[in-house]
Amino acid sequence: MSFLQPILLIGLPLALLPVIIHLINQHRHRTVKWAAMMFLLDAKKLTKGIDRLRQFLILAMRVLAVAALIFAASRPLAGGFMAGAGGNADTILVLLDRSASMEEQNLETGESKRSSALAKISELLQKTSSRSEVVLIDSATLEPTKVTDLKLLESLPQAAATATGANVPALLQAGVDYLATNASGRTDIWIASDLRNDDWRTASGNWQSIRADLASNETVRLFLLTYEQRSPNNLAVSVTNVNRRRTPSGYELAMDLTIKRTSPSGENDDALNLPVEFTINGTRTLQSLTVAGDEFVRLGYTVKLGAGDERGWGRIDLPADNNPSDNQAYFVYDEPPVRKTIIVSDDQTTASTIATAASTPVDPSTRYEAKTISPGDSAQIPWDETALLIWQAAIPGEESAEAALLRQHLEKGRTLILLPPPDTNSSEGNALFGNQWDTWADRTNTPASASWWRTESGLLENTRNGTPLPVGKLRFFKTRSFSGELHPILKLEDETVVIAKVLTETKGSLYFWGTLPRTDHSTLATEGISFFIMTHRSLAEGANSVSKARMLDTGPSALVGKMEKIETSESESGLISVGLVPGAFKNESDAENQLLVALNRPVTEDNPETLNSGAIESLLEGVEYRRISDEVGSGSSLAAEIWRAFLVAMALALLAEAILCLPPRPETKPETKPI
Amino acid sequence: MLGGISGRHRSPVKGSSLEFAQYRKYVPGDDTRRLDWRTWGRTDRYYLKEFEADTNLRLCFIVDTSGSMNYGKEGGKTRLDYARSLAGTLAYLATNQGDAVGLMNTSPESAMKEIPAKRGPVHLKVLLDQIGIMEANGESELISTIHAAAEKIPQRALIVIVSDLLFEPEPLREALQHLRFRKHDVVLFHLLDREEIDFQFDRPTRFLDLEGGPSLLADPSLIQRRYREAVETYLGQIDEIVNQSALDYHRVMLDEPYDQVLARFLLGRNPKTARSAR
Repeated sequence: MSFLQPILLIGLPLALLPVIIHLINQHRHRTVKWAAMMFLLDAKKLTKGIDRLRQFLILAMRVLAVAALIFAASRPLAGGFMAGAGGNADTILVLLDRSASMEEQNLETGESKRSSALAKISELLQKTSSRSEVVLIDSATLEPTKVTDLKLLESLPQAAATATGANVPALLQAGVDYLATNASGRTDIWIASDLRNDDWRTASGNWQSIRADLASNETVRLFLLTYEQRSPNNLAVSVTNVNRRRTPSGYELAMDLTIKRTSPSGENDDALNLPVEFTINGTRTLQSLTVAGDEFVRLGYTVKLGAGDERGWGRIDLPADNNPSDNQAYFVYDEPPVRKTIIVSDDQTTASTIATAASTPVDPSTRYEAKTISPGDSAQIPWDETALLIWQAAIPGEESAEAALLRQHLEKGRTLILLPPPDTNSSEGNALFGNQWDTWADRTNTPASASWWRTESGLLENTRNGTPLPVGKLRFFKTRSFSGELHPILKLEDETVVIAKVLTETKGSLYFWGTLPRTDHSTLATEGISFFIMTHRSLAEGANSVSKARMLDTGPSALVGKMEKIETSESESGLISVGLVPGAFKNESDAENQLLVALNRPVTEDNPETLNSGAIESLLEGVEYRRISDEVGSGSSLAAEIWRAFLVAMALALLAEAILCLPPRPETKPETKPI
Repeated sequence: MLGGISGRHRSPVKGSSLEFAQYRKYVPGDDTRRLDWRTWGRTDRYYLKEFEADTNLRLCFIVDTSGSMNYGKEGGKTRLDYARSLAGTLAYLATNQGDAVGLMNTSPESAMKEIPAKRGPVHLKVLLDQIGIMEANGESELISTIHAAAEKIPQRALIVIVSDLLFEPEPLREALQHLRFRKHDVVLFHLLDREEIDFQFDRPTRFLDLEGGPSLLADPSLIQRRYREAVETYLGQIDEIVNQSALDYHRVMLDEPYDQVLARFLLGRNPKTARSAR
């Protein structure tokens, strides 16, 4: 229980005053010489049952009355917080999920999950922790912000709405890091989140250390303020793969358009005619789309471009619903860039195989180029134009210029694939982002096949119609293992990871391929479908960052350089958190070199699945936490003052005591001679 | 009162005195000297005029000397003192009237348990001395003493019992009926203290039994109601017993001046004043 005046609880032992007075009274009895013992003995015999209970109850009522008075004076608070909290903490860490899904609103109150959580936490902390240091860490920036005035918590820029995704383990890790670097004393950590599966990233490697840190820190208490309910009939639009194509009649845009439809029951059988507004370079057109079932997916949806619209930006708008943050999708387009692949290798067989695959066009309107460079000539790499870099050479030293260039390549959002260099069978070597090559394994006599590969995302993801890639046909004769913090993509029967993505903080993707597309290493080249698709998916990942029209996910580092929003509404002016809100942006270069960027929320934000209690238990195993499930617009308070209830309890106790003290009704007896 | 000599007490036997009792028809054998000639003159019938016979009194005190008679306010008079005052005063009055006075106490340890009724100032001194030195202790032997008195006192006598009667009342019924059976005139002074009846204590108290029983620690607020019920029941039983036994019963509170109690008693004994006294 939490109290606004906990100091007054020092007086709680006073509740025992009636008992003490009773005992003292018993102890300081006087002694009298008495003759009428016969009446005393009779009375004693008769006063054993009900009367004793009555006296006990009277004493209990008095104790209760005093205790209730002290509790009332201490101004107790009730609510979800009540059971776990027990006094003011020195530091309150508010970890706020600012993801787009937290903008789901209760249309009656206009409150979003984020604003509701902030309002309730703010109200609670104003009541209970006015002397605590309050630090806000938001999921968008992961930067700690000290809150000096709790009334302003909701209006802080760091607590404003964003269209970002959230990385809850990273958010918690930021909180744990803050505790480690600051003398925070007793700390309450409040996590406000809607428990989206994709935000909580259950597979993240951070959870283990977070659990260990929180479980070992006895001065930390964890509270989850959760808003897992789904908005009824919410629609979310997203657009990907926007390509400008030349047609005989001019230009057109081809895009993959997805509209997701959610409802609490999960049943969306009825078809829905939806007016969808397309805005291209400021010109609006309205089209009607029919959404049947849970999802509307149109691959290659085309929109005609008018004269003079060869490059530009666009927006797709859905009608307003419970979540305004997922009703818009921005896109930008320009002439498709050349998809250039650079292969750094001395192995001609490998290089020519990759070059053949990489330069084979997938999209006829796009140019594909592949070039092989010897590791000794790495200075010739055209870094600015390269979308995919395939590196079959020793990993350069950590401090070398080559390593710095590789890191920069990834920072720009390009793709880097490391192939095993043909060096000695040694596990010694340099590391990139903590990952390095280990030893070769020769499986020529018993070729290995893939036992598992990641089908839901990544290079070996199923095709758009759900067909899995023929990875199972592949055979591996020589593989080289690698170590580090990796996200496996393909494993062999003996659990050897052959292809993996390295977990980095960069925008680009770094892959380790533990075999070569040579006939003596694998059947990647001969069973070429999987290899071809992997190569082009890697290339497509890096190509976006080469283009002058880039579509990116929102994030604090999404926009590089000085960018301005192409279309700014009045309400946004001056309050735009760069990179955190969706929109179309341009830099201030001349028109020919002008970079266009469309920022959208990550598509994972449209996935409505939430964690269940078991999953939370599993993630926070060993950590003591209290979960408070709230609903937007519920009107309930995390902490309501309940001193009135205690006063009522005191009054009732006194009333009961008075009733118990009433003398019994005299029994009607025949009249006796007056004494 | 049936006495051996002529005295100041009316006797159930008609005799010679100044107090007119009744007219009675003459029957052969009556003393003709007692014929009322005036009535014969008026009615021509023979009537005898009868007068109350005055006789002396045989007064015997039975004083309860059980431990409970030591009860009294600290530094004040005890119940036994009150009993002494009552018995001593009555003994003095009776002796001055020429009545014989005797004493029995209930203490088995007393050296002089019984003083037979005699007249005269010398006997009064002996009796008063005995009243003065008697002590209260032990359990009550009142019932057995009453039975003994009923057996030992040969003639009708006025037996004055002074006690707190703090024992089970039922045996008292038989003892008093025994006295009445022997034609004794019985007066019972029941000495009680208001504190014993009201039981007004404000805090826990250890009660020490004056008759030597185990002490008892009690919270009066817990048992007060039951105590008063027990007292009420007890007094009801005593009332019933004394009503059945037709004796002169006086419930006396120790805070009443004993002269008032005696005056009430004496006035009640006089037939002329009895109605107004009671």
